[in-house]
Amino acid sequence: MKREINGHPLVYLDSGATSQKPSQVLEAERNYYEQHNANVHRGAHTLGDEATLLLAESRQATAKFIGVSDQEIIFVRNTTEAINLVAYSWGLDNLKEGNVIVTTLMEHHANLVPWQEVGRRTGARVEVVGLTPDGQVDMDDYRNKLKLHPKLVSFVQVSNALGTINPVAEMTKLAHKVGAVVLVDGAQAVPHMRVDIGEIGCDFYAFSGHKMLGPMGIGVLWGKRALLEKMSPFLTGGGMINEVYTDHSTWAELPEKFEAGTPNVAGAVGLMSAIKYLEKLGLPAQAGMDNVREHDKQLVAYSIQQLQKIKEIRILGPKDSSQRSGSVSFEYQGVHAHDIAAILDSQGVAVRSGHHCTMPLHNSLGVVASIRASFNVYTTKGDIDALVEALKKVKEVFKK
Amino acid sequence: MDMYREDVMDHYEHPRNQGSFGDAQDKDVLTARDSNASCGDMVKFYIRIAKGKIIEVKWEGIGCAITTASASKLSEYLVGKKIEDIRKLGEEELVKKAIGFEINPGRSKCLTLPVKVVKKLCRS
Repeated sequence: MKREINGHPLVYLDSGATSQKPSQVLEAERNYYEQHNANVHRGAHTLGDEATLLLAESRQATAKFIGVSDQEIIFVRNTTEAINLVAYSWGLDNLKEGNVIVTTLMEHHANLVPWQEVGRRTGARVEVVGLTPDGQVDMDDYRNKLKLHPKLVSFVQVSNALGTINPVAEMTKLAHKVGAVVLVDGAQAVPHMRVDIGEIGCDFYAFSGHKMLGPMGIGVLWGKRALLEKMSPFLTGGGMINEVYTDHSTWAELPEKFEAGTPNVAGAVGLMSAIKYLEKLGLPAQAGMDNVREHDKQLVAYSIQQLQKIKEIRILGPKDSSQRSGSVSFEYQGVHAHDIAAILDSQGVAVRSGHHCTMPLHNSLGVVASIRASFNVYTTKGDIDALVEALKKVKEVFKK
Repeated sequence: MDMYREDVMDHYEHPRNQGSFGDAQDKDVLTARDSNASCGDMVKFYIRIAKGKIIEVKWEGIGCAITTASASKLSEYLVGKKIEDIRKLGEEELVKKAIGFEINPGRSKCLTLPVKVVKKLCRS
């Protein structure tokens, strides 16, 4: 991405929205379309076999990456679709009037709105756990909400707006004690740290390919086999059936039961390439995701340290950088976030401004909109320096 | 930065006609509000009409420099105009006549929010 933006070299600090893609990933997708493209599971010819094999290989690589069985990996479009799948398939069959769903105030709209919708249809209600002033889940409030005996508890592993890393294993354990099913939104965690589903202990886990160097349009829902087997399909049609009659049908085995229609094979191939890239990144090579996490920690610590020097800036979320990952959000006193982002863009610096799909959180913080600088493996300290330098332009324009 | 040219910054730093007519239930006062979901900006306009003419305009809200300058410029433009004439103008025409500056598509919502509010008010 050696582009110039408004006469300045591009500094891309919006990886939390979507990451840039390594040439290996682009090449893998291209190679798939040029050499192997065919629809899957129509095995009567070589290309069809190859496409089927590549989809299976990607599923295996993805499963290994997060420490689960490949039969439990459902390919979807993105995290939003993964959560909707659980909300509609599991939620509509298992929730009823008076049931409680627990989530937190730091959730992305993708982990709140589907539960509101399922609540509206089933009569279940959503209870939202509050945060501490430091931007962490208020564990006392969490324990209190669990006393309502929720059927389902759903929370984010790493907040997209605050960067907070939640104690997901502990939260899962507490939720299981009251018999709740637990979903973890891993969209901002998987790109930045080693994720082991066994260590978390949750029942469902959702993430997107495009935030972890993979292509857009491919995402993952992992679910415990016992739960997935009992669930009704989310979308129905081709590819997900076993036998079809004019008046009824039977479903395919896992994971195909949840993958109606032609799958995104090219996306899956790209995702596999991104996983291989991440697994080998840095030194020592076999420690790929640990190197990624270390790099991320350093960037978060450095950006907090540098941004704190600007007196107009208030950083949102935990100050302790070991408790955060992936991004630093802040507000600039007296100047609206959109104006900041526009001025930064004029200097070639790309950041996110707005409420980052977390309106309830921003309302509770008393912030209309904030600015988020977010990172990935290609982000450097030099990029943070460019951000700090570009922020000086704000003072020039707004004479504050 | 062209977007933050002098007159825009002047209207942002010294917004004209900012305020409200309170909660007075005045049949000569039209009000409307709207917000931009993507950024949380909100604008509310109050317009007092006498004999079909806009005699006083107030607006309140929260927003970026562009939204603020746009609302301020629009409020100045409206005073003295016939409400029927404003009703007849399309959104784009009103932006052109009242606000008179352009912006890149990513920020056009900031510019048009006050105009949308006034058009909504005209319909009420």
